[in-house]
Amino acid sequence: MKFAFFPGCVSRGGCPELYPAAKKVCAQLGIELDELQDRGATCTGAGVLQEKNQFLGDVLNARTFAIAEGLGLPIMVICSTCQGVMSQANKRLKTDPNYLAKVNEQLSEEGLEYKGTASPRHLLWVLVEDIGIENLKTYVRRPLSGLRLAPFYGCYIVRPSEDLEFKLYRDREDSLEKVMEALGAEAVDFPGKTRCCGFPILTINEKNSVQMVANHTSSAKELGADALVTPCPLCHLNLDGYQPSAMKQTQQDINIPIIHLPQLVGLAMGFDPKELGLSRHIISTKKVLSKIQVAG
Amino acid sequence: MQVIVSVNRFDPEDSKGKYWQDYNLEIGENSTVLDALIKIREEIDGSLAMRCSCRSAICGSCAMRVNGHARLACNTKLVDMTDDAGMIKVEPMTNLPVIKDLVIDQQMFWDKIKQVSPWLQSEGPEPKGEYVASNESMNHLSGVMACIMCGACVSDCSALEVDKNFIGPAALAKAYRFVADPRDSKSVERLGVLNEYSGIWDCTRCYECVEVCPKGVGPMDRIMALREEAISVGYDNTIGARHADAFSDLVEDSGWLDELRLPIKTVGIFNLPALLNFAPVGLRALVKGKMPAIFHHNVPNVENVRKLFKRIRNNQNIDD
Amino acid sequence: MLEHDVLVIGAGLAGMRAALSAQEMGANVAIVSKVHPVRSHSNAAQGGINAALTDRGDDWNDHAYDTVKGSDYLGDQDAIEIMCSEAGQELINLEHMGVIFNRDDQGLLGTRAFGGQQKARTFFVADFTGQAMLHVLYEQLMKSSIRVYEEWFVLALIIEGGVCCGVTALEIATGRVYVIRAKTVIMCSGGVGRVFEPSTNALIVTGDGIGQAYSSGASLMDMEMIQYHPTTLKGSGVLITEGARGEGAYLLNSEGKRFMETYAPNMMELASRDVVSRAEQTEINEGRGVDGCVYLDLRHLGEDLIRERLTQIVDIGQDFAGVNIINEPIPIRPGMHYIMGGIKTDVNGRTNIPGLYAAGECACISVHGGNRLGANSLLDTVIFGRRSGAHAAGYAKDQEFPEFDVQGYVKGYEQKLKSLADRQKGERWAQIRNDLGKDMDQYFGVYREERGMQILLSRIEDCKKRYETVVLQDRGTIFNTDLIFTLELGFMLDCAETIVKSGIERKESRGAHSRTDYPLRNDKDWLTHVVVSKTDNGPEISHLPVKITKWTPEERKY
Repeated sequence: MKFAFFPGCVSRGGCPELYPAAKKVCAQLGIELDELQDRGATCTGAGVLQEKNQFLGDVLNARTFAIAEGLGLPIMVICSTCQGVMSQANKRLKTDPNYLAKVNEQLSEEGLEYKGTASPRHLLWVLVEDIGIENLKTYVRRPLSGLRLAPFYGCYIVRPSEDLEFKLYRDREDSLEKVMEALGAEAVDFPGKTRCCGFPILTINEKNSVQMVANHTSSAKELGADALVTPCPLCHLNLDGYQPSAMKQTQQDINIPIIHLPQLVGLAMGFDPKELGLSRHIISTKKVLSKIQVAG
Repeated sequence: MQVIVSVNRFDPEDSKGKYWQDYNLEIGENSTVLDALIKIREEIDGSLAMRCSCRSAICGSCAMRVNGHARLACNTKLVDMTDDAGMIKVEPMTNLPVIKDLVIDQQMFWDKIKQVSPWLQSEGPEPKGEYVASNESMNHLSGVMACIMCGACVSDCSALEVDKNFIGPAALAKAYRFVADPRDSKSVERLGVLNEYSGIWDCTRCYECVEVCPKGVGPMDRIMALREEAISVGYDNTIGARHADAFSDLVEDSGWLDELRLPIKTVGIFNLPALLNFAPVGLRALVKGKMPAIFHHNVPNVENVRKLFKRIRNNQNIDD
Repeated sequence: MLEHDVLVIGAGLAGMRAALSAQEMGANVAIVSKVHPVRSHSNAAQGGINAALTDRGDDWNDHAYDTVKGSDYLGDQDAIEIMCSEAGQELINLEHMGVIFNRDDQGLLGTRAFGGQQKARTFFVADFTGQAMLHVLYEQLMKSSIRVYEEWFVLALIIEGGVCCGVTALEIATGRVYVIRAKTVIMCSGGVGRVFEPSTNALIVTGDGIGQAYSSGASLMDMEMIQYHPTTLKGSGVLITEGARGEGAYLLNSEGKRFMETYAPNMMELASRDVVSRAEQTEINEGRGVDGCVYLDLRHLGEDLIRERLTQIVDIGQDFAGVNIINEPIPIRPGMHYIMGGIKTDVNGRTNIPGLYAAGECACISVHGGNRLGANSLLDTVIFGRRSGAHAAGYAKDQEFPEFDVQGYVKGYEQKLKSLADRQKGERWAQIRNDLGKDMDQYFGVYREERGMQILLSRIEDCKKRYETVVLQDRGTIFNTDLIFTLELGFMLDCAETIVKSGIERKESRGAHSRTDYPLRNDKDWLTHVVVSKTDNGPEISHLPVKITKWTPEERKY
């Protein structure tokens, strides 16, 4: 199994624990990665660049798709936001041939052309659709039994469901719970599961953003979760990085750790938590690690 | 088919508070959630209160939460919603107070709509005949005019959940209807108002409203269009506008995001209070080794990226 | 004391237009509506609004003639002339208010063809013209700050000394009874759809206003003229717009044949609605239908056109019939849709009760006579809504507020409602309403005859008896919908009775009233309106001559 790997910006910036964890897990699963950033692929725009200029955003993503097409490899991402932005751009490009032509006009200067065959997918979906749940179980060396985990998907990997082809791929809707259970843990259903972490308005309206962090982390804790698990590093930045602010703003003790999806898979595979960057979180992961009898 | 409709009920004249009541019924395979609720109120329990009228997704009365997400009861098929035990959960919409059972108080919803001055404001003397307008512009408006004011978007809005001052997706979509109407001459003023707190920049871009809208209005897409429009008419100094600008500049410069510089560029390097606000978070990140590298390298062949940005800007005649 | 110069009942197109018009004339006006204005059934109108624009080479006289012929010569021609001559200006008014009408290449208002008209003069917004107009009128209403008693249910009109003085109403959210005093009342409460089961109409269309006006002594006219819309879905009765046929859709029978060729070789699918419905019913009755339906075929129109101009019915086809209209024909059948009849008014909306006006579907002037042309209803609502509002405002200027025992009315109704709530033994509203609806559909369908209608009359009597001991299941005061449906049923029963009585009276076939026992039109004896008024001995029938101005009745062929 080989993929054109698109790690995104945050996994190598504000969440530097994610990128190596993802690579280690992929290696263990026998997934070969050809890294697109080494081939000049740009940021997806994260929806923010699209606010200023959607066409420009679509061109940048089409360029990444074209580069991957050139390698003859499908794209894999490790960020819900990358997934959503790429899927939305892809839909626009695939459904309107005139628009695609306009976009390709811009790419032609560089000698690139997007032919419309890309289907970027998150590692989460690759686990469920390509590796398969039963197969995934065979990689578990350290079952996460006893762990109660709250799945936090991140908006852009669940909405708009049409762009993410949920009707066609029915396993995507509860993919995170499926993976958690395959690794031996118990999935805790909570109101924030598919809600917004608040990251997009962090700089614009910090109070609202932090309130969202407070709501979701505290409701997960109240329902008995040991940790939240998220496939999105932007969500991680907010839920983990701004949890101290959330506790301050709402005057409550929360302190529930946020785990990246690859870190969870890595833990179950038997990797050392330090290798997976679990000591680098703002909210300590010591307690949840000790529950599966691992020193943090 | 057999279904169990579990309804979240509330009787204001009863001290019981909110409670779930399960109704078992036998109903046709092709039935909708509304068919089931009507059958319940006609044959089992006449005290079940809800609003409904047209049964064909045009009046907007029957919006409610089904299995946790807002939708119209009349165009939601039971078979699509029932779990393995044949059960569906029905609750009133959120973010608005409940009067009784599935009936919510719409006051806040309509107050927010009224806030955007939702009527055509054209300048100058009225023409004798119709205003001349392209069919393209009218067709474009029909997408947002399709809004039936059902409230589903307002119910599931993430921003409204934490801040009831946010004007909300329905009102903003309605505002867009006028900004995009070639006959309305108050765009700049409208955008000026929407540019302030509780307006277009307080949307958290979560796509809930797009997902739940039964008429494909795409409120969030309209909000993004309003943002683009606001920036283009000169409202470019909001944090949101600066954020989009900064993001774009940074990607143009190196091909990917420099997360260290992004917040600094967004708030402005001389904006000491805002910069100091980031300090605690930044410090924690530094201590844990989560600080982005100070030296931010470019992607290979970054010149191609810079040329691309420039070319597109020129083609679109955008000033930067 | 709640009081207004002009009180409008109903916040649909006619109601809001009347209120805006009355306010323009300086009246203190308010609207009372049992639902929020944008929930009104006007939003279900899909196809368009007719108007003859004289500066575009159209002549309102042609529109008037098409309307007169469409009405099967039962329409009052003076009223029709007014409606058609004022249509052009009103259309422009609506566009100025902001309605997003479709445009042609020049950016001017564009048209589509519609039933019963020789020239395309139907202006439209995709296929949701009613909703588009309703929402724009509501925008204007928000701008005007006219008070709306929202979700207030009118229990009855108040008539003192033979004059209409206001209403007694129930605030649904609280269950409290109020009197709203008014110098004039304009009834814009809509049609009677739910008296029939199935129907295209929304659940709120229960003939409340027609029933209330009737009980108060207003004359009703042409109640037997019930329109069956040619293209409705089986089972739910949901409407598929005539606009589909306007854009070129075909009607096919089980043999795949465009059967309209037999019945209306010139206008084909765009013949008058009663002609098309009868054609469909005949095909179905004679075994050339499929499962009680015929087919509406849009495939040849192409995806692009359908997606631009018929957007809503793509969703309707998918959601409510499981059919993709872009590449499958959709099974449809005639469904009860509209009542041409209603509260008798003059061209300014006045009824025979001083102070009481009526406009919109609940009124009968008559502009639609025996059959309403598609896209004339939206026109009717705004033209006569505007006229009634203006006239009522003018009339109210010279009136004092009527004096009467307000508390007496409040207490009287509180007592009535309490007695209803206290009753322990009896039948609930739902079964009575369903039985009534099914009987009306069976015996007062596209085709009727004496024996069936007499049976129907006795069935209505039975329902009325059952209603005398109707019992509530919800005895609460806050948002008691059980109570509302129970009250609505009373009005529905009165409407049903007047409909059938009128149907029995007219011994000919004209317009939508097709009798198998009197299959021909009989101008000699029946070029007249059937009027029904309430007396102590029950409904009393009389006749009223049809106003003929320019067009002599002739044979009606399409």
